[in-house]
Amino acid sequence: MSSESGNSVAFGNRFRTHVDRGNPIRNMDPIVVFIVLVAIAIAPIAFPGFVAAAIVCLVYPVIALFAGVAREFLPTYLRLFLVVGLVLFVLRAAFIEGKDPLFRLGNIAPTWAGMEEGARFALLVMAISGAVTLFFNVATVRYLMLALELRGVTPRATYVILASFQSIIDLGRHARTVLEAQQSRGIETQGNIIVRARAFFPILAPVFLAAINQTEERAISLDARAFNSNVSHTHLVTLRPARPREIVFAVVVVAAVLVAFIGSALGWL
Amino acid sequence: MALATLRGVSFTYAYTNEPALRDINLTLEEGLLYAIIGPNASGKSTLCALLRGIVPLFHEGELTGSAEIRGRNLFDWDPAELSREIGYVFENPFTQISGIKETVFEEIALGLENLGMPSDEVIDRVEQVVEQLELGALVAKNPNELSGGQRQKVAFASIIAMDADVIVIDEPTSQLDPESSDAVFAIIANLKKKGKSIVLVEHKMDLVAQYADRVIALNGGRLVIEGPTSEVFTSPLLNASDIARPAVTDLAEALAKVGRPLARTPVTRAEAADLIRARMKGGPRANRSR
Amino acid sequence: MPIVLDEVAFDYPDGTPAVESVSLHVKDGERVAIVGQNGAGKTTTVKLMNGLLKPRSGAVTVDGESTANRTTAMMAQTVGYVFQNPDDQIFTSSVQSELEYMPKYLRWEEVRRDERVARAVALCGLEQHLETNPNDLPIAIRKFIAIGAILVGECRYIILDEPTAGLDVPGLRLLNSLIDHLQTEGIAVVTITHDMRFVTESFDRVVAMAGGTVVADGPCEEVFADDDVLKRARIRRPEVAQLVRDLGIPTTALRLDDIVHKIP
Repeated sequence: MSSESGNSVAFGNRFRTHVDRGNPIRNMDPIVVFIVLVAIAIAPIAFPGFVAAAIVCLVYPVIALFAGVAREFLPTYLRLFLVVGLVLFVLRAAFIEGKDPLFRLGNIAPTWAGMEEGARFALLVMAISGAVTLFFNVATVRYLMLALELRGVTPRATYVILASFQSIIDLGRHARTVLEAQQSRGIETQGNIIVRARAFFPILAPVFLAAINQTEERAISLDARAFNSNVSHTHLVTLRPARPREIVFAVVVVAAVLVAFIGSALGWL
Repeated sequence: MALATLRGVSFTYAYTNEPALRDINLTLEEGLLYAIIGPNASGKSTLCALLRGIVPLFHEGELTGSAEIRGRNLFDWDPAELSREIGYVFENPFTQISGIKETVFEEIALGLENLGMPSDEVIDRVEQVVEQLELGALVAKNPNELSGGQRQKVAFASIIAMDADVIVIDEPTSQLDPESSDAVFAIIANLKKKGKSIVLVEHKMDLVAQYADRVIALNGGRLVIEGPTSEVFTSPLLNASDIARPAVTDLAEALAKVGRPLARTPVTRAEAADLIRARMKGGPRANRSR
Repeated sequence: MPIVLDEVAFDYPDGTPAVESVSLHVKDGERVAIVGQNGAGKTTTVKLMNGLLKPRSGAVTVDGESTANRTTAMMAQTVGYVFQNPDDQIFTSSVQSELEYMPKYLRWEEVRRDERVARAVALCGLEQHLETNPNDLPIAIRKFIAIGAILVGECRYIILDEPTAGLDVPGLRLLNSLIDHLQTEGIAVVTITHDMRFVTESFDRVVAMAGGTVVADGPCEEVFADDDVLKRARIRRPEVAQLVRDLGIPTTALRLDDIVHKIP
């Protein structure tokens, strides 16, 4: 028992200082990370061709590596590339008509220009989805919400967003329990589409009923934790204030991207 | 000042016909541990909810009679103030976890954060509660990944941390194994010793008999009997209402039925042991002489 | 023909073992209570019995057939499993339709269906509630609706997860008489429970689990007499059994009706 409580004392102390997530990139202000990633993600739109987008797509793994989240980021991003990126590329490249097709396969006659256009489109989408994925890994929604709260956004607003993410997980988990309960009474959930379709209602009904029945109780138990009190809430977890050089860095990135867009509009690129 | 005074209170939930509480007359004193017992749908949870103002302030319905909480009419309370003075733990542990905190430590701290308590005090307070409830092994865990029993303990800790004078708990041990149930009751007894008033719903009558000061027995929304624990459990009114009693009380009745009654009816194991031991020492005659 | 778990092991998704080298039999008409602390492996063990979980190693057979190649829905005709929370199971808008769901799903003939539903209604005391929406009924009755929906099937083994949680005195009485009746039909009942009084009043055999293994398996009298087993499985004797123990009365009796005669 004494060793257990000893742990908790050590554990509590971590809240006495700003969060240290053990890495300079992950310790950056989530809002700075958000702005920088948005700027990087949309930058390739300013450039013609697919090279800029490809570079951006290659930059993400490097950032992930330095941020120490490569293990989480790379598999997800690779999967996105293979599933979404490849499909987008093939669809675009195959159906853009033009002169000098590279080869013919029935109605499909891809051209070099079409391939280029397909690559640009697919890589632009991957640049944006890579930024989203990386953001979830580096800054996390939780810390973004905290950063927003510390800048005056109400806890109610951040609660809605954070609780929504959690409720998706909770609903999924409850659905698995109900699935097991229904299998145990003989409802088949494996097999062809008709068999599976018959199991749809028996699984969804209890899940949604429970979710609806629990809403009010959740609200009251949140109220029991003084969530609706009018005093300004304390933040047990605090973020280190954004360092000047982080802010300068963000400004430089945003400025560079702006210049690129202006350049593009003026026909320099 | 009484914790609660109910005079002729009836309550019917909106969209239902049958009242959940019927003509309840009851006074609850401060500083005691009350257990509410009764069969299913006897109004136990509704009575708990009423003490905390959840009915009729959150759950709509028709309340008749007068309900005073700590000397003030229920309707005159600011709901936020009432929720701070009376901590409330629901039976279902899955609705108690906020879903927005990453660790159990932060989850327990949520209520204190909301009250605007300075950070260092929050940490000290949570550490105390964690130690008191022996939750050290859980503090670093994600509250959303806990089992039902673990959630129940965390929900309980979260309310205790807020240090309300009065704590209402609907079935604190429904998801717990016997060892954890005993531990939770020991903590509740300790809270009472520190001057808290506690009202709880519990089905485990052996625990109720051991820990409760007074028992409120309900049946079909009506008050069957309210009084000191041993008085209630030995009352013939209980049996007539099909309300469970401690095992040793059932045993005493069975002994009486076979013509070997104990000197009086025990409600705890310790009492029963004393009574039987006395008889064993005194021999069979000691029993007959009574 | 029994349910046989032979040296079974199963891991949680995170890789930690949930049960290890668990071996046990459940024979026709037997009444077995699985007890132990939260996290001892009780739920994993019963989920292995109806094929919800397939063992990592070892074998589970029901009536001689391995669960490995059968879905739980197929197994449900032999092994019925009533979950702890009835609301995970109930989904139709009347008690009657809930009870009729499985026969209709399996396209049974009307005669067979009506006969099985009538039996379940009688055993679970649901006569007055057939037209009612289960959501309007108290939890204790919903528990019996869930049990009834399983009893409509022709299972020879019934698993009850924490059936006494939330039951009042009349509910407990009904549950006990239901379990007695199932035994007369030769149906085996397996329960997971923390309620030791229920165990000793309604079950013949106890399987005590701790840390994913079986620490004791035998008649109630034997298991509850062993202090070491109780300590390892962190379980308690029923209150009155502990009382006679405290008093030093030499008896292994556990049921209140038997203990009455042992007290001087």
